[in-house]
Amino acid sequence: MAFLEVEDLKVHFPIKGGIFGRTVGHVKAVDGVSFSLEKGKTYGLVGESGSGKTTTGRAIIGLNKITSGKVMFDGRDITGMKSKSDVRKDIQMIFQDPYSSLNAKKRVIDIVAEPLRNFEKLSKKEERIRVQELMELVGLSPESILKYPHEFSGGQRQRIGIARAIALKPKLIIADEPVSALDVSVQAQVLNFMQDIQEELDLTYLFIGHDLGVIKHMCDNIGIMYKGRYVEEGTTEEIFTNPQHIYTKRLVAAIPDIDPKKRQEQTQFRQEVKAEYEQSYNDYFDDEGLAYQLQPVSDTHLVALPEKG
Amino acid sequence: MIDMWKFTLRRILIMIPQIILLSILIFILAKMMPGDALTGMIDPNVSPERLEELREKLGWNDPWHIQYADWVGGLVQGDFGQSFRFKMPVTELIGERIVNSFWLSVATLIFTYLIAIPLGILSGRYNDSLLDQTITGYTYLGFATPLFIFALVMLWVFGFMLGWFPTSGSVSPGSEPGTFAYVMSKINHLILPAIAMALIATVNTVQYLRSEIIDTKQKDFILTARAKGASESRVYNRHILRNSLLPIAAFFGYEITFLIGGTIFVETIYNYPGMGLLFFESITLRDYSVVTAVVLLFGVAAILGALLSDIILSLVDPRIRIK
Amino acid sequence: MEANKLNTNEELKTHKSPSGFSIIWRELVRDKLALISLIFLILITAFVYGVSFVLDQEEIVTVDLFSIHEPPSEEFWLGTDYGGRDIFGQLIIGTRNSLSIGILVTLMSGLIGIVFGLVAGYFGGHVDNVLMRILDFFQILPFLMIVIVFVAIVPKYSIWTFSLIMTAFLWMGIARLIRSKALQEKELDYVQASKTLGSSNIKIIFTQVLPNITSLIIVTMTLNLAGNIGLESGLSFLGFGFPESTPSLGTLLSYARNPQTLEYRWWIWVPASVLILLLMLAVRNVGEALKRATDARQRRG
Repeated sequence: MAFLEVEDLKVHFPIKGGIFGRTVGHVKAVDGVSFSLEKGKTYGLVGESGSGKTTTGRAIIGLNKITSGKVMFDGRDITGMKSKSDVRKDIQMIFQDPYSSLNAKKRVIDIVAEPLRNFEKLSKKEERIRVQELMELVGLSPESILKYPHEFSGGQRQRIGIARAIALKPKLIIADEPVSALDVSVQAQVLNFMQDIQEELDLTYLFIGHDLGVIKHMCDNIGIMYKGRYVEEGTTEEIFTNPQHIYTKRLVAAIPDIDPKKRQEQTQFRQEVKAEYEQSYNDYFDDEGLAYQLQPVSDTHLVALPEKG
Repeated sequence: MIDMWKFTLRRILIMIPQIILLSILIFILAKMMPGDALTGMIDPNVSPERLEELREKLGWNDPWHIQYADWVGGLVQGDFGQSFRFKMPVTELIGERIVNSFWLSVATLIFTYLIAIPLGILSGRYNDSLLDQTITGYTYLGFATPLFIFALVMLWVFGFMLGWFPTSGSVSPGSEPGTFAYVMSKINHLILPAIAMALIATVNTVQYLRSEIIDTKQKDFILTARAKGASESRVYNRHILRNSLLPIAAFFGYEITFLIGGTIFVETIYNYPGMGLLFFESITLRDYSVVTAVVLLFGVAAILGALLSDIILSLVDPRIRIK
Repeated sequence: MEANKLNTNEELKTHKSPSGFSIIWRELVRDKLALISLIFLILITAFVYGVSFVLDQEEIVTVDLFSIHEPPSEEFWLGTDYGGRDIFGQLIIGTRNSLSIGILVTLMSGLIGIVFGLVAGYFGGHVDNVLMRILDFFQILPFLMIVIVFVAIVPKYSIWTFSLIMTAFLWMGIARLIRSKALQEKELDYVQASKTLGSSNIKIIFTQVLPNITSLIIVTMTLNLAGNIGLESGLSFLGFGFPESTPSLGTLLSYARNPQTLEYRWWIWVPASVLILLLMLAVRNVGEALKRATDARQRRG
């Protein structure tokens, strides 16, 4: 049994309308997503805005209501988990925006200690020591615990967010685009730091992102989402060297190459992929423009294709 | 347009429980008031047993929901009960007063817009000029001044000290209804209370109009119109005012709520025989059937006013329909 | 830039960053008009509360038939009313009573409005829908009349019942404001983060969202205070505030309902009018300055 197992997850949001505000339809943000994640690994969830990747992450941790499907964590069903269960301690989240995810009116010590206060009864002094340790762990000065978030840079703030997330020694961290709001120069720092603490604290990551470069750097397995469904899933190797779905191909082709000599070549390659994408769009997507059911290509590699025959 | 009808329909549907709740609340208030309709009507020599009998007969001992139904039934037929003080049906009593209050409200609204629109436009158009500062100073004071103090001072200065206006009543005694002098006297009695109320009521509108115009001035389409060489007055008349005045028209309905509060003060101070003074008198005299009727009428007027404004606003600004 | 420098200076001294309040305070002190208003308010409050310890309310409201309607003199600085009661003494006691009730009503209606608005905004959806319909209903009532009716039919009323009656119809404005702010706040990630960290909804509402709207609350409550002082004096003016034995500023004005007093005995009602006006202006000035201060902070932050 896998560490985290998501089975046929659906998250639908009602659309209200009419005179009495009845539900007239649904937005299918996540529409039948299944995947599993091994302990100590990093799983990347990739897609463009509106693909449902963030909603998937939020549904797992309980921020979005699950319409149907099942989430198993460490052998337990956590589909409708209550806010103060033990599982909550074990799953934490790192948010995309380091500005709005830290309460501007709170000092760092109150921000980082919030989970400790909810789950562990510590004395003021013990709490202070724990917070200072955490600050040190994320590479920030333990003296700055009385400062306000606005006195830190974006990268530092994201580290505070990480300190808060690891305060309860969780087993799984859902990282929702943790670096996309940061300067490129700081991104690598934070990512490497995340990898360091992964080893140190034996963490499992569900890494949500749209930047394939970052995903390639971080992840062992990758799932590609489009309009609430999976289009392809495989190891990082498989996705990047042998993409099967036309959508994945296009994403991979769009990764910028740093070598200026290859620029021309790459532009041409992109044109070709684009042409192929447009030509064979109907072979890969159904009438509504949604992806088909996943079909196995190999043991680890799955692609959404119409059923043969 | 379909959206528009949907909104209106939904808005009316919201209004129905509001009116029912209002009537229940007023019914409860009426029940809490000491004494009942009989207290004032009956000869004190009538024995308590006889009174009890009468109460039974009139249904005063029925369960409350039956009494409520009877009461509403009466209201629907225009039966508001008897005023024990004036010994006449409440409906008749109100009929006289409501006309006076109506004209006072109309005059107030006319003055309000007559003052607010030019002041708001001038203040917005020439913002940060001396003129604008004077107008802003007026709104600053107007915001802080309670209506009743202002009305008192106006009465003191223009009614008593200068003697320009009458200090009480709605018409000079002895004028013949229907004559020109009668109408003029009516108008003369209206002016001072109406201006007093308008000068306070207008403050919101002036400020709103000013900031609206200043905002619109910076908008791209205005800058474009200017860049294309449209004259300044054309820019104001064709573009800015059209955008800014519509919401003002929509606030008309909400003004009714202010007018209701205002009439109680202003009519009391100017001794003007309208609904506000009637309310004040009858609550002082404990003439509760009149009180109940006036509160109910004013409540319904406020609900209808808000409905009107909401609908006009939804026409002007479609965004509020999406709620 | 200047504020930044200040920050670092203070850090050196206390090793603790200034809280939001101290920044607002600094802005307030910089605003001349607001500062004067604030000093005026503090002085007048200290004066009326201080003096009313010495003054005997019983004595002031006792009818003295030998000195009816006296104009200002050395014995009676502001003359006397129709019962021979000293106007100046009534002015002091009246100011104290008006301020007390204004503050009481503002705090109570603020409390109800804040809780109501936070709950409606934070939970949203059906909770919000139901609560907002209730609020709409309250807001549409001809509240002045209903307050008057209540005052007239409640048999024995005190400062407390009177404030409760006013409060019952004055919490809607602040509730609506807080609700719309809470609707915005709850979408921010810090609230979502608190949920994932295991904080309960109640805890999030009061320890996470509330601190983020304190400036809005302070500004609104200050402005409401001005309105409530005016409203109370209006009700007392009509005779539906306090009884004559507990004078408020409105009680003194109510004597002007008698045309003779209005025309010939200005000393009874003019000082009270001026005082009400000054109080309302001063409170508003402070409120508006606070509003500007908090806005500026938002711009800078």
